[in-house]
Amino acid sequence: MSLVAEAFVSQIAAAEPWPENATLYQQLKGEQILLSDNAASLAVQAFLQMCNLPIKVVCRANAEYMSPSGKVPFIHVGNQVVSELGPIVQFVKAKGHSLSDGLDEVQKAEMKAYMELVNNMLLTAELYLQWCDEATVGEITHARYGSPYPWPLNHILAYQKQWEIKRKMKAIGWGKKTLDQVLEDVDQCCQALSQRLGTQPYFFNKQPTELDALVFGHLYTILTTQLTNDELSEKVLFLSEDGKW
Amino acid sequence: MLLGGPPRRSPRSGTSPKGPQSSTGHVHFGKSPQTWPRRTRPRSPGLAAPSGVRGSTQPKRRDFPRRAWLTALSRYGARLWMGRRPSLPEARGPAPRSAAASRASRSLASPETSPSPLPATTRGAVAGGGSVQGRAGAQKEVFPGQGAGKMAAPMELFCWSGGWGLPSVDLDSLAVLTYARFTGAPLKVHKISNPWRSPSGTLPALRTSHGEVISVPHKIITHLRKEKYNADYDLSARQGADTLAFMSLLEEKLLPVLVHTFWIDTKNYVEVTRKWYAEAMPFPLNFFLPGRMQRQYMERLQLLSGEHRPEDEEELEKELYREARECLTLLSQRLGTQKFFFGDAPASLDAFVFSYLALLLQAKLPNGKLQAHLRGLHNLCAYCTHILSLYFPWDGAEVPPPRHTPAGPETEEEPYGRRNQILSVLAGLAAMVGYALLSGIVSIQRATPARAPSTRALGMAEEDEEE
Repeated sequence: MSLVAEAFVSQIAAAEPWPENATLYQQLKGEQILLSDNAASLAVQAFLQMCNLPIKVVCRANAEYMSPSGKVPFIHVGNQVVSELGPIVQFVKAKGHSLSDGLDEVQKAEMKAYMELVNNMLLTAELYLQWCDEATVGEITHARYGSPYPWPLNHILAYQKQWEIKRKMKAIGWGKKTLDQVLEDVDQCCQALSQRLGTQPYFFNKQPTELDALVFGHLYTILTTQLTNDELSEKVLFLSEDGKW
Repeated sequence: MLLGGPPRRSPRSGTSPKGPQSSTGHVHFGKSPQTWPRRTRPRSPGLAAPSGVRGSTQPKRRDFPRRAWLTALSRYGARLWMGRRPSLPEARGPAPRSAAASRASRSLASPETSPSPLPATTRGAVAGGGSVQGRAGAQKEVFPGQGAGKMAAPMELFCWSGGWGLPSVDLDSLAVLTYARFTGAPLKVHKISNPWRSPSGTLPALRTSHGEVISVPHKIITHLRKEKYNADYDLSARQGADTLAFMSLLEEKLLPVLVHTFWIDTKNYVEVTRKWYAEAMPFPLNFFLPGRMQRQYMERLQLLSGEHRPEDEEELEKELYREARECLTLLSQRLGTQKFFFGDAPASLDAFVFSYLALLLQAKLPNGKLQAHLRGLHNLCAYCTHILSLYFPWDGAEVPPPRHTPAGPETEEEPYGRRNQILSVLAGLAAMVGYALLSGIVSIQRATPARAPSTRALGMAEEDEEE
C-alpha cells in the first residue's frame, strides 16, 4: 500500500470501534501448532487482553497461508486483516487503545529495544530448536507441522519449511551455532530480561505494556511445552520473578 | 590452565629479565580513556603452552610461552621486518614448515585451522619490528603502549582499510576497531583491502595470541573481553541488559537499511561502494569481488525480510526506511545529552552505534535519505564527530587519509602495473618472433657464411609463402 492508502486505511480504522466479533487465527492447538507460533499467538492474546479488547481464537490448519505476511497469528477485525504483534499494536493504537502512552521517550526506546531483543534472541532460539536440532525435528516438529495433511504432502511441506528456516539461520549467522551456544544466548537474554525487570511487577511502572505481553507469551510457552530437550525451559525457570505470571 | 605455571619460571629465567614479572608487565601497556584495572594474567601463558606443544618440533619450545620464542626469533624477526610490506604473509614465509600450512589456511576460509607455529614467527617478527618500525603508516599501526611488543603476544586484527574519512569502510571492521580503541587493547592492525589475504578469508579477522583466528565480530569482542580488555567493566547489570537490547535493535532495524543503502540501492552502489572497493582491491579481484559481495548482501537482505513479491519491493523499501528512521530517533532519545550511552565512558554499545552512524554520516551518498534524517538528529552527529576526533584523530581529519589511501592502492598497483606492462610487451614480442620462426619467414641457420645463405633462405621462404 502506498503511503496515501495507508493513511486512508488507518483513518478508517480509527473511525470504527473495536467490533465484538474480532477473531484471531492460529494453527490447530492440539496437534499442529509449534512452539514459536504458539508463543507469538499467546503474546497477541495477552496484549489484547491487557487492552481489554475481546477476541475470539479460531484454529485453522491453513492459518499460515491465510495470513497476509505468512506469519501467525493474525487478527480479523471488521474488514481488515493484520498479522504479527508489531502491526497489531499499531493497528490497535490507531483505534485509540494503547498501553505505552504513559511512557516517556527514553522508556519507549528501551521498550522497543527489549522487544527486538526478545525477537532476535528468544524467537530465533525457538526456531533453531524446532527446526535445526535433529532430535526435536524428527520427533516433534515434522510430525506436528504436517499433521493436517495427507501422506506425501506432510513430508514435503515440513521439509520445505525446514529448508527455508535453515537458510534464514545461515543468513543471520546462526547456522554454525551448536545447541549449547544457542542455549547460552537464551541464558544471556533471560538474564538481561531478569535484570531489567528487577523486582517490579511489570517492566515499566505499574502498567503492563506490549513488552510484558511479548515476554509472557514466549516464557509461558517455553515453560509449558514438552520438547525432547528440556534445557530451554530449565534456563527460563531461573527467572523466579516471572513466576507471578 | 595450570600447565604453564611452574615450568615457566624454571630454566628460562635467565633469558629475559622480565621472567617472573611477565605478568605484571601486562599492566603497562594500553592506553584507555579511563584506567581499567588491568588484571594480571598469570594463567594465560599456560594457555599458550599447549599450543606450543602441538605445533613445535623443537623440544625447548614445548613448555614455553612467548618469551622463548621471542628471544629465539627476534634475531631474524628484525631482518624479516625491515623493509617489508606490513602484510605478514611475506614475513612469515621463511617460518619452518608452517608456510604451506599457513598459505593453505589463508586461501581457504577455515578460520580455526591456522597452525600454531605461525604465532611464534609472527610474534618474533613483531618483537623485532615493534621497536623497529619498518613502515608505520596508514597501513600498519603498532599501539604505542605496546612498548617493545614482547609482553603479550600481540593480537592482530585484519580489517578493511579506511576511506571517506573513516578508519575503515566496513561496518564490522569499524566496530571492532572502535572497541579496540576504547579499551586500548594492544592490537596490531593490518588495514588491507584484499580479503583473501586475511587468515580466515574474510574481514575483519582477529588472530589471537594463541594463533586462533576469529572472524565473527561479536566473537572478536568477546575474545577481547576475555583478555581483560573490557569496555563494559563498569556497567551495572541493568546497563548490560540494555546493551543487549539496543544491539538487537540495531541489528534488526538499522542493519538491513544500511546494507540496502550501500549495496542494493543502485546509484549508491555504483557511484560510491563499488567504486571504492574496485579501486582498493588489487588487480584481478576488483573485477568480480565487489559483485560477489553485492550478491551475498542481497541474498542476506532477502532472507532477512522474508519473501516479498517484486511489486512489493518499493513498499518493503519504504517500510525498512521508516523503521530505520524510527530507530535513529529512538537512539537519539536514548542518548539525550550524554557524551556516551552509559555516562562518560564508552562501552561496547558505543562502538557498534558509532560504526553504524559514522558510515551513514561520512560516506558521500548520492541517494541519502537516511543520511538526511540522521543529519537532523544533532546529538547523534555530535556524538559521532566527538568519537572520531577523540579516538581516531589522524583518520578523522580529512587531510591524511586521502593522501594515504590513494597512495596506498596506487603504490600497490604501480609495481604490478609496470610489471604487467613489461610482461605484456615481452609476450607480444615472443609471439611475433615465434610466429615468424615457425612459419618460416625468418629462419636461423648455423652456416658460417652468415649473410648469403640466410638471405637466400629468406628469399626462398618468401617465395614459398607467395606460392
